[in-house]
Amino acid sequence: MLEARMTQAATLKKLLDAIKELVTDANFDCNDAGINLQAMDNSHVALVAFLLRAQGFEHYRCDRNHSLGISLASLTKILKCAGNDDVVTLKSEEDGDLLSLVFESPNQDRVSEYDLKLMDIDSEHLGIPETEYDAVVKLSSSEFQRICRDLSVLSESVIIDCSKDGIKFSASGDIGSGSVKLKQGASVDDNADTSTTIELKQAVTLTFSLKYLSNFTKATPLSDTVTLSMSGEVPLLVEYKVSDVGYIRYYLAPKIGDDNA
Amino acid sequence: MGIKGLSKVVGDNAPAGSKENDIKNYFGRKVAIDASMSIYQFLIAVRQQDGMQLTNEAGETTSHLMGVFYRTIRMVENGIKPVYVFDGKPPTLKSDELKKRGERRAEAEVSAAAAQEEGDNENFDKFSRRTVKVTKEHNEECRRLLKLMGIPYVEAPSEAEAQCAALARAGKVYAAGSEDMDTLTFGAPVLLRHLTFSEARKMPIAEMNLEKTLEGLGMDMDQFIDMCILLGCDYCDSIKGIGPGRAVSLIKEHGSLEKVVASLDTKKYPIPENWPYKEARELFRNPDVLDPETVELKWDTPDEEGLVEFMVTEKNFNEDRVRKAVQKLAKHLTTATQGRLDSFFKVMPKDPLTATKRKAEDDGDKKGKKKTPAKGGNKGAGRPRK
Repeated sequence: MLEARMTQAATLKKLLDAIKELVTDANFDCNDAGINLQAMDNSHVALVAFLLRAQGFEHYRCDRNHSLGISLASLTKILKCAGNDDVVTLKSEEDGDLLSLVFESPNQDRVSEYDLKLMDIDSEHLGIPETEYDAVVKLSSSEFQRICRDLSVLSESVIIDCSKDGIKFSASGDIGSGSVKLKQGASVDDNADTSTTIELKQAVTLTFSLKYLSNFTKATPLSDTVTLSMSGEVPLLVEYKVSDVGYIRYYLAPKIGDDNA
Repeated sequence: MGIKGLSKVVGDNAPAGSKENDIKNYFGRKVAIDASMSIYQFLIAVRQQDGMQLTNEAGETTSHLMGVFYRTIRMVENGIKPVYVFDGKPPTLKSDELKKRGERRAEAEVSAAAAQEEGDNENFDKFSRRTVKVTKEHNEECRRLLKLMGIPYVEAPSEAEAQCAALARAGKVYAAGSEDMDTLTFGAPVLLRHLTFSEARKMPIAEMNLEKTLEGLGMDMDQFIDMCILLGCDYCDSIKGIGPGRAVSLIKEHGSLEKVVASLDTKKYPIPENWPYKEARELFRNPDVLDPETVELKWDTPDEEGLVEFMVTEKNFNEDRVRKAVQKLAKHLTTATQGRLDSFFKVMPKDPLTATKRKAEDDGDKKGKKKTPAKGGNKGAGRPRK
């Protein structure tokens, strides 16, 4: 059976907000190391994966590996019934078809219990190779969200140019063009933690769909910073840390120039 | 045309084999389309309000051009790269079937003429659709149109479906696009149906997956071919009294057509006198196709002036519309296409533990809802456990 106790319902709420736009149903794979999820969007362009480590929970017990097929819309509805500071306990029997959620208010005077029906979800699991990326950029997550929002006005896609001294996002469309450049080391809000850092092996230039990137920025509330990892002609990795519990990663296939092949 | 009742057999016995998808989800995919089949469809379906085919001033039919032009653009707009495959010489085994079709067409022509005489519009419409025949000129005009549009096409030595299947199997294209179910029998790993339907019909694309179909049926490829022959194909007659249900169970029980034949009670199920099932099987296994490796597919920029000359001047299409459509085509053929994750990351084999568990569950509920038609589609992928 699975039993996991988390002190802040808000974390789970934010996590769900970060994935529910991209996928509708997903399997939550539970094992003794923690809870994993991997799911692709319908059109197989983007993939979202998160890990909540067992150590991150106040209490965690999972006797045997099992996966919970969950409709994300339904889970979101149930989580709306929890207060942000509530303590959440997830419970599920191995062969059961329910996920039980218990919400306890911080001062323990209100306890609510919900059961969510599980589903059989036939999903493909992708093997993601460990990749050494040519460029790894850490920047403020709210800045990244703003760039995506701003450039969406101009075009459907953004060109990301990463060189030694900075990272440049540019877009051009019918009404005109625009670009945003962030310099290495600079911080947008005088907070050293969110300053832009670049680890570069080789300069890269890639084109991505802004629609998907904007979708990924739904994870912004989870973390102050975001890491973009890029190499030529491979999917972009966008990673947000989930406090000290784990991470959420998004992969996005690049747009490829026509080579007529 | 195709295999009798195969789509129902797959739907009933291997629901995982087919799913429905929006056309948008196929961007970046190359698809080999059975041209002759599509042209035939267009000639039937693309009509004026009074049921007559579209024609130019000289009275030449233009329904097929309309279809090929706009439906191709629709595919390109959705990021699909089509390549058309034209039929070559039909295999000799098909001559019986073709003769029958000819007779049926002749009958329909008689009925159509009679209906017209009586002023029975509804019946005239019905029968005149059955008289449709794709002529050499139709094919030739479509080739010319495709060339001007910059869309590649392939001349199959024999059956177009078989060539489409071969291209898909060799990885030259992602899927074969045809309505003919025998494309699967020819070994196409993925078959897309309804690809060339009109947008107005809001018909989702039906994607048939050969591997999953075989898995669902519990057969290997050879048994699948044998089953298709039993169901009834274009190349030989089927046995009277053997329908879809029995065909599946017979092959499952005996494993091959030879053993089925040996065990059949010939009084109850008379085997047709001339029944070249071995030849038909050979045709499905090793059809006459061009080596896919020698086929080069190249998408060019469309020739706007050439298209205007052909479509507007010769065929009386509206110039504005043609120009706009060509610009759309050119734009989509040149802009960067969105890549797909599955071309970078490989699908992992399923965890055997969960897979076996699933299967057991599947068997359980199959009994309960055997009669309900399989609902494909992504929404069908998740179903309540109880």
